[in-house]
This record gives sequence, C-alpha cells and structure tokens, in this order.
Amino acid sequence: MFSFRRFDRSTTLFVGLLTVAFLVATFDVRSHGVGLGETMREGAQVLFAPLQRAATAATRPVVGFIDGLSDIAGLRDENARLQDRVDELESQIQEQQSLQNRLEELEAINDLEPPGQLSAIPAQIFSLGTSEFNHIRWINRGTADGIALNQTVIDEDGLVGSIDFVTESSARVRLITDVRFGVGVRNLETNELGTISGRGDADLQLRMFNAEKPVARGQLLVTDGTRFPAGIAVGTIVASAETAAGFLLETTVSPAIRVSEIEFVKVIVGWSPLDAVGEGDEPQPAPNAPVIGQ
Amino acid sequence: MRGRDVVFALTVAIFALVLQSTVFAEGRIELFGASPDLTILAVIATARHLEPEPALLVGFTSGLFADLLGGAPLGLWAIALTVVAYVTVRLRARSDHGLVAIGVGVLALTAIGEALFALTGTLFGQRLLMSAGVLRLIFLPAVWNVALAGAVLPPISKVLARDRTRSWRP
Repeated sequence: MFSFRRFDRSTTLFVGLLTVAFLVATFDVRSHGVGLGETMREGAQVLFAPLQRAATAATRPVVGFIDGLSDIAGLRDENARLQDRVDELESQIQEQQSLQNRLEELEAINDLEPPGQLSAIPAQIFSLGTSEFNHIRWINRGTADGIALNQTVIDEDGLVGSIDFVTESSARVRLITDVRFGVGVRNLETNELGTISGRGDADLQLRMFNAEKPVARGQLLVTDGTRFPAGIAVGTIVASAETAAGFLLETTVSPAIRVSEIEFVKVIVGWSPLDAVGEGDEPQPAPNAPVIGQ
Repeated sequence: MRGRDVVFALTVAIFALVLQSTVFAEGRIELFGASPDLTILAVIATARHLEPEPALLVGFTSGLFADLLGGAPLGLWAIALTVVAYVTVRLRARSDHGLVAIGVGVLALTAIGEALFALTGTLFGQRLLMSAGVLRLIFLPAVWNVALAGAVLPPISKVLARDRTRSWRP
C-alpha cells in the first residue's frame, strides 16, 4: 500500500501536471497555435514524421488487405451502381460535347480568355489524427514546397479541406468532415448560397438562410468562391428539404470525397480569397465555372 | 524506479502513438466506425507497474505527444492521459488483478480518457461534443481496448514487473 507521504506527493504532482496542461491549452488557444505551440509541433514533426512515414509504408499492404476484405460485401451493389453511372455518363458526354461546341462558339464571338488553370502541388498523406474526434491528415509537403496556411486541398472527387498548420516539410489538413470546418457553398441547380459544416463521421450539415427554392436529393453543391476557389465539388444533398420557420433551410449533405480512401491530394497555391473579390465587389458565384471533382 | 523502465514506458507510448496515427485511426482500420485508442492502452499498461510519479509523467508526456500530432489545442490529451494514469495508479492497489477487474478497468479508463478529451475540447471551443455519434466515439474505443488488452498488457507487464517486487501491492 502507498505510504501517506508517497500518495501525497503523487497527488501534488497530479494537480501540478493538470494545472500545467490547462495553462498550455489556454495559451495555445489564445495564441491560435503560433509561438511556442508552433515550435513544439514542428519539433514533434521532426521526431515523428519519419516514424510515421515508415509505419505507413510498412503497414499499407495490411491496411489495404483489410480494407479489401471489408469492401467485398459491397462490391456487387457497387458494380450495379457503376453500370448505371456509366450509362448516365455516356449520355452526359454527348450533352457535354454539344455544350463544348457552343462554348467554343461563344468564346470566339466574345473573344473570351479561357479560365486559367489553378496551380496545384501534389502531396501524399503520411499520417492521420490521434483521435476519432479530430478529422485531420498530415501531408508530405510544407513551406519549402510553397504550402501556406489556409490553402485549399482537393482530390479527384472534390474539396478535401484546408491547410491549418504547416512546417517546413509537412502540413496538417483539416478535413471538411471535421466539426471545426465550415465552407460557403452554392447549389449548382438553384444557384442559391449556403454554408456547410462538418459533423465528424456523419454527413455534412447544410444551412441556407432565406433560400427561395427547396433543395432536392442528389443536387450538387460547390464552393462559392469566398474562402476557396469557386466550383469545387463539396457534396450532394442527401435529403430533400425546404425552408422552415420562414427563413432557414437545413439538411444533410454527403461529402464528395471518400474520406477513408484519400491517399494523394493536391494543394492549390497561388489563389487567395482576395482573388474572388474585385474592387468594391462582393464575392460573386460563378454559375458557369467548371466543377472540380465531378 | 529504474530509469530504463521509464524509457521503456515512453517507447511503448511513442510506438502506440505512431500506430494510432497511421493504422488505427479515423479513416483507416475501423470497426463499426471506431478504432482502439492505443495511446490510452499504453498508458494504462505502463502505469500499472511504474511508481506513481513516473507513471503520471509518462501519462502527461504521452498526452502532450498526442496533442502535438493531433488537431486539437496542446494540453487536452495531456489532461486526459494524466487523469488516466492517476486513476490507474490509485485503482491498481485495490485490484486483485483478476481478468474481469482488469477488463472493467481498461473499459472504464479508456471511456474516461475519451470523454475527458471531448469535454475539455468543447470547453476550449473545439465543438468536439458536437461530433455525430459522440457516445459511440467514447465507448467503442473502450471496447476495442478491452479486446486488445489481452495481447498488449501481458508482455508489458512481463518487462516492467520482472526482477522487482511490486511495491504498490498491499
């Protein structure tokens, strides 16, 4: 049994450590993660990143095998769904070709410049979060590669998240599913604006204020160009809904990305929210902008 | 207390953290939408055998490392894992170390750690309790930790308990 003296010392140390931890948390929140917290995180990356990269490389076959096992049950349904999707896409391609011809004609008539391609840096994910509560990813690109805070991260399906911490050789991506993440969106069909916030493992939540039209299942939502470049796919409406209580529309949205399958991403560089704002103008939705990820 | 025991405990915690952040994490290997929390399990496994002060320091340090690699403010996991280490130290003297007692202990301590992290995170503005299925995120890792405890605890106990009288036992 503990001696009273030993018990007393450990309790004193316990209270002291808790006090230190609370102070550290308060300081880190107040300083928004810069200063000492930033230095400590950079140091931790130097120590842990090589270990995490080695662990990821070593365990990838095992993780892939287990993922494959869990996927087998769903493969049949997935096959049927994909066949339907192929049929749908084939008809869309024909329609797209027609639209492309019209666009080329219009550009020639109006002497329009085609929209410039956004510069993007490819990156690989080497580590995930340490908790089920935080949806983050660490990528193997940092300030040395041109990565900076708040840059947009995408993959072939759409918006992945944004950079919320960066070191010289790595960066942390906060996923759109994280509860701290929010993004302004535009409904591609109704052209109305709203905001989407993450809810962890569940579907995203869409809120639209003063929406005049209802939303329907399957409608695509894209970034509105305020915080991220316009036209990046964010997700599709899961449940139809209309404005309730006179002004607020709320529903759920299935993210465009497949969170558990992200391995490579692209970080958009050279774009700033200021690019979307002209002199004295509010950010404008771009109804005809190409959609990234769909 | 031998210094090498503390070094061993920290090595176990770091190994658990690396596995946690690469293999057993949200978006990787999950069962029913959650994965085990290896860091908490490592702290429980080592705190059972370390003397109280080193056990608390190992819990605090492991938590700080988890904070540095995670997406929440520094200190939140340090709070949770220090509490887990302290409760482990307090409870071990009253336990006869039967399998049921250990299983219940791992279950409760993991749930306490997860709940504390979510609670303090929310107090610090992280909205963690707003996560969908928050009870699942608290209790499922606890269940997985119980399932893994049979494989993780014995080898760690073997290393830390050898050549030493268990000074904490009555």
